[in-house]
Amino acid sequence: MGPALSASAATVALPRVSGARSAWRRLARYIVRHPVYYGVWTAVTLAYTAGFVAVGRLVGWAVEGVAKGLPHAEVSRRVVWLVAVIAGSAVLRFYSRTLVFNAAREIEYELRNDLFAQLLRLPQSFYGRWRTGDIMSRCVNDTNAVRLLMGVAVLNILQTPVLYVAVVATMLARNARLALFVLLPYPLFILVARAIGRRVHHWSLLTQEGLGEASNQLQEVISGIAVVKAYAMEGVTRRRFDQVNDALWQRQLGLVRTNAAMPGITLLLPALAVSLILVIGGGDIVAGRMEVADFFTFSFYVFQLAFPTFIMGWVVALVQRGAASMQRIDELLSVTPSIAEPRDPVPISALRGEIEFRHLDFRYDSSDAREPALRDVSLRVPAGTTLGVVGSVGAGKTTLASLIPRLFEVEDGKVFVDGVDINRLPLATLRRHIAMVPQDSFLFSATLAQNIAFGRPDAPRAEIERAAQRAQLAKDVADLPNGYDTLVGERGVMLSGGQRQRTALARALILEPSILVLDDTLSAVDAETEAAIQRELDAVFRGRTVVVVSSRVSAVRGADQIVVLHDGRIVERGRHEELLRAGGLYARLSREQAAEQGAAEELALAGAGS
Amino acid sequence: MSAAARAPTAGSAREALFEEETLGKAYDARLLRRLWPFVAPYRRQVTLTILFLFPLLLFELAPAWIVKTGLDHIIVPAATGKPAPEGAFLGPLRAPSGFPPLLWLAGVYFAFSMANGAFTYLDEMIMGSTGQSAMRDLRAAVFDQLQRLHIGYFDTVPVGRLVTRATNDVENVAEMFSAGFVALMRDVLRMLGIAVALFLVNARLASYAFLVVPVIAVIAALFRLKVRAAFRSIRVRIARINAYVQENVTGMKVVQLFTREPRNTRDFDAMNADHRDAWLQSIRYDAALFAAVDLASSLTTAVVIWQAAGLAAAGTIYVFFDWMRRFYTPLRDLSAKYSVMQSSMASCERIFQLLDTPPAVQDRPGARAPERGPLGRSGAVEFEHVWFTYGAKQGEKEPDWVLRDVSFRVEPGERVALVGATGSGKTTLIKLLSRLYDVRRGRILIDGVDIRDWPQSALRQRVAMVLQDVFLFSGTIAENIALERPEVGPEEVRRVAEAVHADSFVRRLPAGYDTLVRERGGNFSAGQRQLLSFARALAHGADVLVLDEATSSIDTETEALVQQGIHALMQGKTAIAIAHRLSTIEDVDRIYVLHRGRLVESGRHAELLARGGVYERLHRLQMAGRGVSAAAS
Repeated sequence: MGPALSASAATVALPRVSGARSAWRRLARYIVRHPVYYGVWTAVTLAYTAGFVAVGRLVGWAVEGVAKGLPHAEVSRRVVWLVAVIAGSAVLRFYSRTLVFNAAREIEYELRNDLFAQLLRLPQSFYGRWRTGDIMSRCVNDTNAVRLLMGVAVLNILQTPVLYVAVVATMLARNARLALFVLLPYPLFILVARAIGRRVHHWSLLTQEGLGEASNQLQEVISGIAVVKAYAMEGVTRRRFDQVNDALWQRQLGLVRTNAAMPGITLLLPALAVSLILVIGGGDIVAGRMEVADFFTFSFYVFQLAFPTFIMGWVVALVQRGAASMQRIDELLSVTPSIAEPRDPVPISALRGEIEFRHLDFRYDSSDAREPALRDVSLRVPAGTTLGVVGSVGAGKTTLASLIPRLFEVEDGKVFVDGVDINRLPLATLRRHIAMVPQDSFLFSATLAQNIAFGRPDAPRAEIERAAQRAQLAKDVADLPNGYDTLVGERGVMLSGGQRQRTALARALILEPSILVLDDTLSAVDAETEAAIQRELDAVFRGRTVVVVSSRVSAVRGADQIVVLHDGRIVERGRHEELLRAGGLYARLSREQAAEQGAAEELALAGAGS
Repeated sequence: MSAAARAPTAGSAREALFEEETLGKAYDARLLRRLWPFVAPYRRQVTLTILFLFPLLLFELAPAWIVKTGLDHIIVPAATGKPAPEGAFLGPLRAPSGFPPLLWLAGVYFAFSMANGAFTYLDEMIMGSTGQSAMRDLRAAVFDQLQRLHIGYFDTVPVGRLVTRATNDVENVAEMFSAGFVALMRDVLRMLGIAVALFLVNARLASYAFLVVPVIAVIAALFRLKVRAAFRSIRVRIARINAYVQENVTGMKVVQLFTREPRNTRDFDAMNADHRDAWLQSIRYDAALFAAVDLASSLTTAVVIWQAAGLAAAGTIYVFFDWMRRFYTPLRDLSAKYSVMQSSMASCERIFQLLDTPPAVQDRPGARAPERGPLGRSGAVEFEHVWFTYGAKQGEKEPDWVLRDVSFRVEPGERVALVGATGSGKTTLIKLLSRLYDVRRGRILIDGVDIRDWPQSALRQRVAMVLQDVFLFSGTIAENIALERPEVGPEEVRRVAEAVHADSFVRRLPAGYDTLVRERGGNFSAGQRQLLSFARALAHGADVLVLDEATSSIDTETEALVQQGIHALMQGKTAIAIAHRLSTIEDVDRIYVLHRGRLVESGRHAELLARGGVYERLHRLQMAGRGVSAAAS
């Protein structure tokens, strides 16, 4: 019995926006899509129940033939009946299981597709608010819980009561007094099973917590392994881990103890019933009030009912968990994407590349009580020119860059591309012609070539190689085990920070965009390579719009226009020389960095000289 | 650090990629043998559960026999008027005189069932707790191994995967006890026992009953193969789906920026449908297995009844019903157990793979620490022609050297500074001194002994290292300074904190030294964290200090304190400091300038300035920078 206990660990994530009713309504919409499955299944279940009751009666009937010493032909006739009904029941059983499980899998499939489609629609502001772990838990654990609800739980919740009604009716008809005695413990047992189930749930939550603590400790030790080793702390950390490990072990023993009660109690239920049949039913037979056949029929029923009864407690828990999970899924599916296709898009298919910000104020809605990220930013980048954006950490540089491809929602009338409000440009057009290289240079688990061709999956190999060349990546490719076909990303070869950044750059270059936005893209690339990339970009992007965001002054030196951001405001603007002469923040940044970077350059000269 | 692209070997990359996809055998004797040392301490419990099989079998089989007695000796004779068969009641089944025999039998029946329940409970308890206890030990072993592995290993394997080894994988192996191998073994023994008992009761009837068994065994084996294949593809597919979703969620910005939505929707749908179809297939096999076992047990019933006519009494039929049902139950959840076994074995394999990874930095046999001399006389550090690379094994071509032929000597109590651009190898150099990595060529000596001939723990008692990014553990400030060294009491903690000028800020905190460190020190400023790490290093009591000064601009408030702290920390020790601000090091005994892994200049501050080389130019630049920022603020 493996109740999906892990799902509950993540149940405490967000306030419930949409209620249970909305969740059930959504689930109902999935269910009605499969009328055939559920319709046929209901019919099969009813037929199976009839077969089940009949088998019990036929067993008794056939055994009675033996007990009474009837002729072999008569016994054979009864056995043939029995076999026929058994065979029919087995077939029905097969279908009753497959139909409902298949329906559950279909629903799981649709649910998962809808979730994924929703994830693709949701904007960056959503991903700032929701944690990856929470989203994943909804896509993995919660769809699982809903699938269990729609499968095993539905099967038992609907089938078991029908079985009960049919069996009780038959038993009452045969021997009402015995039926009452025998069946009395069954409903009681459901309560006992539920109580144990709750204990199990309690302990498994504790165990999950314990596991969480153990992983936190491990994570901490691995992250701090340099300190652990440098200070010979292995013994200390081991003792700390032992504490967590022992606590986890204690909880697991608690879980084992609670779980262990289940099988024992389960076998007591039919045992009690059979001893009652023995004394009461046996007495009735001796007294001539009951047939020997019924002894067997009753025994057959009590054993066959034990298992469905036994799992009822678990099934009820499945329903509860499934409902909670559906609610969490519904919550995610109910989020309205704040960035969508404009209702009246301006039909533009190509961009020249002019960018304009008009008195732009911007505040992330995710973090409450935070200062606006941008204040009163007005700026025009003529098509084909280069804009440099500098400033210290938190000045708003990345925010400004992210607004150009509309990663975050802005009010109307604030950001324009080619003179058109970006909220009115078709999203696909906008993003096809703007290539942004984000700071974190995330790569997917695919080959290097596939990563470079991410925005143009059908790009020919020659273009992929050219993009790599331009991003100064080509010579690194030669060192990879399979060249362009090397698997990279989280599950592949680990590239260095600089290599990842250059791959991300190649991924943008292959799009041949009208506007290229570089968000501190080359921070991990050494100065020499950076200069080479710069030369390449100058050549390739002559006549196109480039926005370079950097905390390093050297990266924006050659820009047609440089703005300096401080606390979300543009505090200085102009060309490199002008800003240096002005002697403000830019000049200061420039000198400070010259000292650090100069060190590298001076040393490079010295090294070359020696 | 930034120098090397630490490309792991092709093999480990493959392992990383296909990890979730390798789903090997459900039974692997080699792995079970490896697991034995973890189970061995609990062999008494294991033996006990095996011995438990016998009473359990008795308690499981007896009740049906009791019903048989009631049927054959009391009920059926009364109903048919035929005489009861020969043979007496078995011992305890005979009711005491004056006691209604049926009531007595029912009581005994229930008593046996209670005993069965009690034994089952005990059995489950022992089995489960043995498994969990063994797993606790296994978890500790994984933890130890992680701490033994050298630092380079952690550059190539993601943290999450290592955490999984000690948590989820170990949990999976524990399943082997409750639902896997052990349960399977016991099931087989139980089935054997039941079969023997049936033959003892009525050999002819038993042989008829078992006519169906070979058929069902073949069917079960066939379905098992099918289910196994189906399960394998399901696991591969669900792992793929989860990885894909995870990756898309993490990289959603890129997905949207590059308008990959239509393509990814298609790709996802294909994966999702694949997964569903694999399930639909497995459901079919699983339901078929279910139905087949059902059918078989019912057919057995029919065969028994049919053949019993004239051969056996009603009671015997009852016994056969009951026992055959027990015989078939384990067959039913065979497929579930099988898949549990598979994933347990796969986890087991992964765990042992980790445990088998030899640590690259190991103590030599017979490693012994040299005697520590008096303060100021011990702690001489010498680098002799040291070469180092992070890259894979040397050989293929000229490796990407991070340090090239570095030689220098620091006398006891001397203070030296390392200067150089990012990537010149400074940080690497101090990591080598603590033996976080081993040198590739040449050697490093402390007090004249190669550090590879020291036990690592002794070496690290003598060398205190302060890294740029200060790592604080969860716990209090005092705990982070003392690092649970018994000789560092609360007073000593305060003394060292005072010495490095950390005391003033700690005392201003509401809980003082008992303030909890949150999220790796997120509740302290960079400067405060530095001060704490100085206190920690001082409390360590080493006579060699290696220090990587923080580059990140520290708040001006603590800046001055940090400078004083560094000076206090270096007092009386052999100190090697990486300096980013040249102002810190004007009074050190010697300055070494590193460039691309080579030492290019060395001397005292004044000498180097006078020489007019690289150092002089660097110094001029920094002074200019300071002048400007001072003017601006």
